Parts: sequence; C-alpha cells; structure tokens
Amino acid sequence: MPRIKIDHDKCTGCRHCEIACSLNHVTGVANPRRARIRVFREGNVFFPVIAGPFVDAACTSKLNVKIGGQVYDMCLLCRASCPQKPFFIEADTGFPLKCDFCGIPPNPSCVRWCNSGALELIDD
Amino acid sequence: MYGCTGRCLRVNLSEGKHSVEEIDPELLGKFVGGRGLGVKVFSDEVDPKTDPLGPENKLIFVSGPLVGTGAVTGASCNAVTKSALSGAIACAKMRGHFGAELKFAGFDMIIIEGKAESPVILSILDDKINIRPAFESWGRTTSETEVVFKRNLEDKWAGRETYLVSIGPAGEKLVPLANVINDGFLCVGGAGIGAVMGSKNLKAIAVKGSHSLSIADGDRFVRVITNLINKLNSAPLTSQSMRAWGSAFFTGICYQKGVLPYKNFQAAAFAESKDIGTEALSNAFALRSSGCFACPVACIKKTDVSNPLFRGKGMAPTYLAIGALGLNCGITDLTTIGMANMICAEMGLDPIAAGGTVATAMELVEKGIADRDALKLELRFGQGEDLLQALTLMATKKGHAKRIGKGGDALAKEYGQSKRFMGVKGMPMAPFDPRCIQGMGLHFATCNYGPHHLYAYTFFEEVLNVHEELDPWSTEGKPELVKRYQDMTAIMDSLGLCNWPLMGLKFNNFLPMINSCLGTDYRAEDLLRIGERIWNQEKLFNMGAGFDHTHDTLPGRFLNEPIPDGPAKGQISKVHEMLPKYYDLRGWSKRSQPLPETLKALEL
Repeated sequence: MPRIKIDHDKCTGCRHCEIACSLNHVTGVANPRRARIRVFREGNVFFPVIAGPFVDAACTSKLNVKIGGQVYDMCLLCRASCPQKPFFIEADTGFPLKCDFCGIPPNPSCVRWCNSGALELIDD
Repeated sequence: MYGCTGRCLRVNLSEGKHSVEEIDPELLGKFVGGRGLGVKVFSDEVDPKTDPLGPENKLIFVSGPLVGTGAVTGASCNAVTKSALSGAIACAKMRGHFGAELKFAGFDMIIIEGKAESPVILSILDDKINIRPAFESWGRTTSETEVVFKRNLEDKWAGRETYLVSIGPAGEKLVPLANVINDGFLCVGGAGIGAVMGSKNLKAIAVKGSHSLSIADGDRFVRVITNLINKLNSAPLTSQSMRAWGSAFFTGICYQKGVLPYKNFQAAAFAESKDIGTEALSNAFALRSSGCFACPVACIKKTDVSNPLFRGKGMAPTYLAIGALGLNCGITDLTTIGMANMICAEMGLDPIAAGGTVATAMELVEKGIADRDALKLELRFGQGEDLLQALTLMATKKGHAKRIGKGGDALAKEYGQSKRFMGVKGMPMAPFDPRCIQGMGLHFATCNYGPHHLYAYTFFEEVLNVHEELDPWSTEGKPELVKRYQDMTAIMDSLGLCNWPLMGLKFNNFLPMINSCLGTDYRAEDLLRIGERIWNQEKLFNMGAGFDHTHDTLPGRFLNEPIPDGPAKGQISKVHEMLPKYYDLRGWSKRSQPLPETLKALEL
C-alpha cells in the first residue's frame, strides 16, 4: 500500500502543502486552517504533520521525544486531532478533518507541490 | 474581489484606537495592491515634507493580492513609510510568513498612525485586535521579543501559528540605520523603517488568522502552479545554486566579473573570494534551507552553529552580508561575517546601511582623516572585532558610537569628505560595483529608494545572462533594460511576488497564475503600465520631499576613478551618458520631472 514518507531534514517550512491541500479539497479556497496537513516549527526544524483520526477524548499520557539531541513535545508530532489541539478542525463548522490521500488511486496534492523533497509517495 | 480581502486596519496609537475600513476597489484596480496601494495611500495621506520620526509620519504594512493564495513565491508584504535615513519614500519587502498570515487574519493593509505614550505591541489574533503594553519585551533583541510574546499568550498552540514583525534595540533608540525584522529574516531595503516604528513606540506587530482567501478559477490555478513548480525545478539556478547556498553563490560570479567591491569600493578584486559563497560557506556553517510562504526555491539558509566566535541559531550570510558587512569592510572570515549578520538580525540593523557606514568610517580612519580618539572606536579595514564592536555599539547607542550611528552620509559630511561616502540619496550602496555593471549603475542613480539592487535586478541579464546575453560594460540598451526591470519589480512587489524566480522564469510565465487567481485578463503590457504608474507615484512623493535631478547621480569615485585592478580594470561608470535616454523613455524632463502629459497618460 502506498504511503507518504516525511523527511524532517528536508522540510523548508514553506507551507505550500497546506495550501495545496486546501485548494484540492475546496476548489478556489486557500486557507491553511482547512488543510489536512500542517507544518509546525520548533527552532530551525519543521515538522509536517498529516491529519490522522479524530478522537473525542484527549490522551492522558504525555510524552517527550528526543530527536537528534533535542527534546520535543510529542503532541507536536502527533497526528490525532483531539480536544487539546485546535488543529485539523474546521474553524467555522467544527468538523474534524482527516487526510483522504486525495482519492483513489492516491495522488496526494501536498506531495505534488512539495519541492523540497520532504514529502514523498512510496510503495512498500 | 478575488485574492484580496478588501479590508484595511487603521490603528491610531496616540488614541489607542483602531478601526476597520473598506479599501476602494477602484484604487485596487489602478494600483493592484501591495506596494502600489501602499505608496498611493501613503502619498495621499502624508505630507512629503513631514519629519520621518514625528507622529505625523505613518507606517503602512500591505500585502499583495497573490500573497497567501499559494501562488508561487507569493509571500511579499511591503512596509511603506518615509525613511528616517534618506528622507525619501521607503518601501521594504518583508518575506517570510507575516504577509500571508495578515491576509488570513482578514486584512490587506495595516496603517499605523500617531505615537503611543509607552511601548506597545499590536496584536491581531483573528478578530481579536488589541494594543498591549510591551514592558517585558522593550529593550530586548528580536528573537527574544518573539519568545516573550508567545510565552505570554494563554494558548500555547496559538503561539505556534503567530508571526511577528519587530524592531530590535536599534529601532527603539531611533538609530536611522535600523530595520524591521520579520520572523528572523532581515527585511529587504528596510533601512530607516525600524527607527520610524521605534518613534511610534511600537515594538512589534503579531498576527495570526484563520480566514479563507478565494481564488477565481481554482482548477486552472492548481494546474498552472504545478506547471510553474516544474519549470523552476528544471532551471539550473533556482533548482541547484539557490537551493544549495542561497544568494551567497553570487560571490564567485561577481568576483569573476569584477563586480565585487572591496574596502569601501576602493578596489574591486579579491582573489581569495572565489568560493567564499559556495563550498566555504557550506564548510563554515551547517546550512538548512528555510522557505518563505509558498516558495519552492527556499533560498534562505538557517544555521545552528556553536564555535568560540559564533554561537546560536540564525540566518547564514547572504550575498548582501558577505558583500556589505564582509568584503566591503575588508573582512573575508566567514565566521565573523556570519556573526555580524546575526548581530544585525538580533539588534534590528540593516546590513547594507550598517556595513556601508562602517566601511566609510574605516576609510576615513585609513586615510588619516578621522582617528581613533575622535570616533572613540577602533575601526580598521579587515579587523573583524572592530566591525562587531561597532555594530553592537551603533545599535545600542552606547559608548561613543553615536557619531557613526547617524549613518555614513552624515559622518562623511561631518569631516567634509562627502566623496568618501559610497551611496545615493543618503543610503549606502548595495555591494555591486556600478563601474563594471552599467545597467545597475543607472538603476542605483535613479532608484526612488536609494541604491538598492532588489528594486531592479538587471544583474540577471547583465551578469547571469538568464534570458538575454548583455555585455555588463556596454551602455547599449541599458536604459530600456533598467526601465523595464524597475516597472516589472514594482508590479511584482505589488502583486506580492518575490524577484528571485525570475532566475528561472520569464515575467510572462506568471500571467496565467495572476489571471486565474484574480479573475482578471491582464496582459504583460497592462501590468508593466501599472508598474510605471507606481514608479511615477513614488517619484512624485520624492519630488515633494525635495529630491531632484542633482540626486540622480553616483558618488564621484564611480564617475572619475577607474577600477584599479581585477578583471574589470579601467572601467568607469557612464551613468551620465545614459540618463538623458532614460528620462526620455520615462517621459520625464531633463530635470528629472515627469512631464504633465506623462502623468495624464498614467492617470495620476
């Protein structure tokens, strides 16, 4: 099954993927807050996060992860849209958003517009 | 209205009030938005003779209609005001994410008027607009300001999506060389704007928004952009050189053509500088690309470094830093240049203006005109510590650096040595020697903002030969080239596009993107015409501020002294040969004034 590979080292944080997603799902509307992929910044490193399932309850376990000598809050990397995070929820309607791979066969628009090589569609 | 939000936020700091206004659609049709709209509104509302640091001066931040829509490189937000350094109109280009976020917050433009009683921060978080006290961040560097602001927000997730434009200590102390800093990027051409923001007691503006922007023909827009990304990917300059080193890779090319200045433009050659911007840069810093909003090129290089001299996170030196802060001050050590660049970003100084001023002072010392005791500062060419110390003192107005903090022009005048200041209209010159790149020389002499290359990058044609092969030493066809590039840059800034993609694309390639986004039917001529209108509007403001044909010239060194050595030995600037042709093309009189029929044709 194809999957999207995310390379944090290559991401430049330009957020073109957010706009690509928004334009692809609602024709003619550009709004990163309606995108199913978001890019978060921590220092000089960018983390693209693709929307996963919506959960009603926030998890009770909080994690810190250490990547390359830096400690990050796991909530930053987590794909779930939960009540503790305002992301992946449409601002005006409150509907949760989830990545749908831009239909079948997968041809995600975020991957098509990502020029840095951070997002890549691979087959395994 | 597609692309634009059509709304403008007017903030009066004296009264602590704000109001939301509609932007006149007719004005948007005539000036498109961005720089054009900002310049028009500014010249209508502000008297050209006003004191730049007085409360009557206004400061406008304005995003173009393509910003935030996902248009390729649509990220540019313009800051328009009357510059504290030159007294002419200033229009800085701020990249990064601020402009796009401003659009998502529902505004095309912010107009700042008056002066706050105590330091404040303007925060626009969706529809919550308020003016908060800035006691905690006043006196801090730009990156500290960002951290302090975000930490004080109740919602830590909101902080992640908030973008700031702020001034450092230099702007607070009203140093005329101060710039505004946006998200850690040095904003382009912003010399003198930081001081204006400081004079209003405004430390920072923070924005975050979640509104949508609508696009006229969404399906076509997506297809066009995919196509443009592929085109940029197949052009060697944008896909390889710019992506690997940013603009720093110009250093080697400039050296080969002799354009690279050395020691305040006294010499033009420097053999060791061959790969200072490429391999040496990668070796000195761990480079990491960082892109502005919706930019597939990502030319900004961030770096994490810790060595005895240089510690921290920040922007790796660009060509401007290497040229203006480095070679022009005789310094070739990349660590020192990187650190000087970081000091500029943290303290809120403009690298071209600060570098040019230090280089002028160094020449005065070298020639024995000024001495250490008079300046109370050690300033020698090639001494990195001297530069770093001067920059820090200039920004904080501590010690005795007040004298050089006033700018290179004022300093050189004080010693009766105006000829040793390399700049036009009081603004130090960008690091390109105009003697061996004639088109750029003409642009430097005539530019409304002072000698800044990014308002007409003829370098692409003259040195890089991207679309045309032009001889940089010849004057043939240069007035036409300069006029075309000046108009083109004006319209691209107004739309909100960056200039760099011109290294891989032609201006015509953008037309389908512009038209499908805005639902218009522009041809290239129409847009260039709007660009010309903007250029003339700026010219009219400058004429009101007291600039005339005597200011359209270059420093004597470029007109009288041939380049002493290097690949372009013996070249001299022929700007005065080209000026009559240029005025003619512009429809201006010999005294550099737009003729009545020109203004009528441009509907001004």
